[in-house]
Amino acid sequence: MSEIAVGTPAQDAGRVPARAGAFWRKDDWWAVAIGLGLIVLAYALFAGGSSLAWLAVIPAKWTTADQLGAHFAANWPRYVAQFALWLVLASAALTALGYRLRDTVPAFAFLYLLSVAIFALGQWASAVRYNLEPPLVALVIGLLIANLNLLPRGLDAGFRVEFYIKLGVVLLGATLPFTLIVWAGPVAMFQASIVSVVTFAVIFFVARALGLDPRFAAVLGVGGAVCGVSAAIAIAAAVGARKQDAPIVISIVILWAILMIFALPFAAGWLALPAGVGGAWIGTSEFADAAGFAAAQAYGEIAAKLPGAPAGGVDQSVAAFTLMKVVGRDVWIGIWAIVLSIVAATRWEPTGIDSRASAGDIWRRFPKFVIGFLLASIFITLVAQDVGHAQFGKAATTDLVTPIKNLRTWAFAFGFLSIGLTTRLRDLAGVGGRPLLAFSSGVVVNVVLGFVLSVLVFGGYWARLGQ
Amino acid sequence: MMTAGRRGPCRACMFFRDDPASLERSLPGLAALSSAHGASRSDDGTCARHDRYVAASASCASFAPLVPAAR
Repeated sequence: MSEIAVGTPAQDAGRVPARAGAFWRKDDWWAVAIGLGLIVLAYALFAGGSSLAWLAVIPAKWTTADQLGAHFAANWPRYVAQFALWLVLASAALTALGYRLRDTVPAFAFLYLLSVAIFALGQWASAVRYNLEPPLVALVIGLLIANLNLLPRGLDAGFRVEFYIKLGVVLLGATLPFTLIVWAGPVAMFQASIVSVVTFAVIFFVARALGLDPRFAAVLGVGGAVCGVSAAIAIAAAVGARKQDAPIVISIVILWAILMIFALPFAAGWLALPAGVGGAWIGTSEFADAAGFAAAQAYGEIAAKLPGAPAGGVDQSVAAFTLMKVVGRDVWIGIWAIVLSIVAATRWEPTGIDSRASAGDIWRRFPKFVIGFLLASIFITLVAQDVGHAQFGKAATTDLVTPIKNLRTWAFAFGFLSIGLTTRLRDLAGVGGRPLLAFSSGVVVNVVLGFVLSVLVFGGYWARLGQ
Repeated sequence: MMTAGRRGPCRACMFFRDDPASLERSLPGLAALSSAHGASRSDDGTCARHDRYVAASASCASFAPLVPAAR
């Protein structure tokens, strides 16, 4: 066991033991509260004969600059009101998470204005001809701004990728019938479990064969097999990995995830896969939720333009991705933590730290935003039953579901742009040849196995999703 | 400073660092595709004594209480 000699940590003077599970310090719970609050508000307005549609404005399709100008000239009060709503909600959450208003307010103002511009560009009639899918454009612009050092780092306080993506997922729940989740969830779990276990095994055993420490190999493995960076830091703690291991895994995951944001949608488009099938493939083969949602939404827009494509390309692709990645892979992180901590404690060289996880870790590490996603889905399904499906199909689609869907699109837009704005390539730790080789071998198996299961085995199933 | 023989959880140890902002600074890229505020991190942190990433509920023989017990 090696120990680092340290003196009294002055910076921790006055620190008191953290209150375990302080929910207001977790972005998951803020996403759940804000997302469900918006859904209930939308329903209350709908039930009262009104709608949230006025506030949930999005740029209209346009062909000429005059049309775009006319849209903003007619709707600017709606954009101002929407900005104020998002600003209040984001500021409340980010302040509770410990960020200062003087950083988050200008950051969010910048984020919103740039999102409006990218969203409007994506609504251009010729955008798809030039591959200007908004998630991809947002990522490229964000990467350029961050890596050319055009903004002060303090603004990162408002570029909270995870918060915006989790909020988008909760809102997404209100656009998916619970019956669909019940119908498709088990298949997603089955398929995702196969891919997760095989990918982990490949990365772990290749890393061990290359002489890497087993704890490092395990962190690498879950980074590729479960939920990317989030899984890597969760398992790093569960097995007691060295502090220098996690930054290496984070760097590798980011590099591969960003590459896959572009590669998977274009590969799926080249193969002319139905939107649901492409979304399922992305769900098994992307490494991080935020990156995967960007890829799935981009592919939905590509698939919608394919000859003979049915309507609802983006919805199908994002729904299949969510079921595969969030329901099929993310929710198992607590189980992975328990199993690997037991293996670490009983099979690997002791570190002097007793870090064996308990059953409580299943709940502690559970991605709580999934609860908001499921509650939103149950809520909207009960509303549909109450109103009656025929009536729901007409009025509620326009006055209830579409406004929520528009807000979801905004939340994802903030998240996609924030990925680029916070990814500074020069800050990332050096990856090293052996960890990169081990992870990349898992990527190859993951992508091929994901394709076989999503397209060849369950392709018919995912193609019918939501139809 | 050391309290040999008395073990407590890492969350109550002076060598434990779990501040989300500090974690994100020490793990470049963490905030780009994840978050130190996420539920899946639970209350994990880093140990300045062992130079490892540890769960808040972990423990070891080098435990040193953060807040000394009242006499």
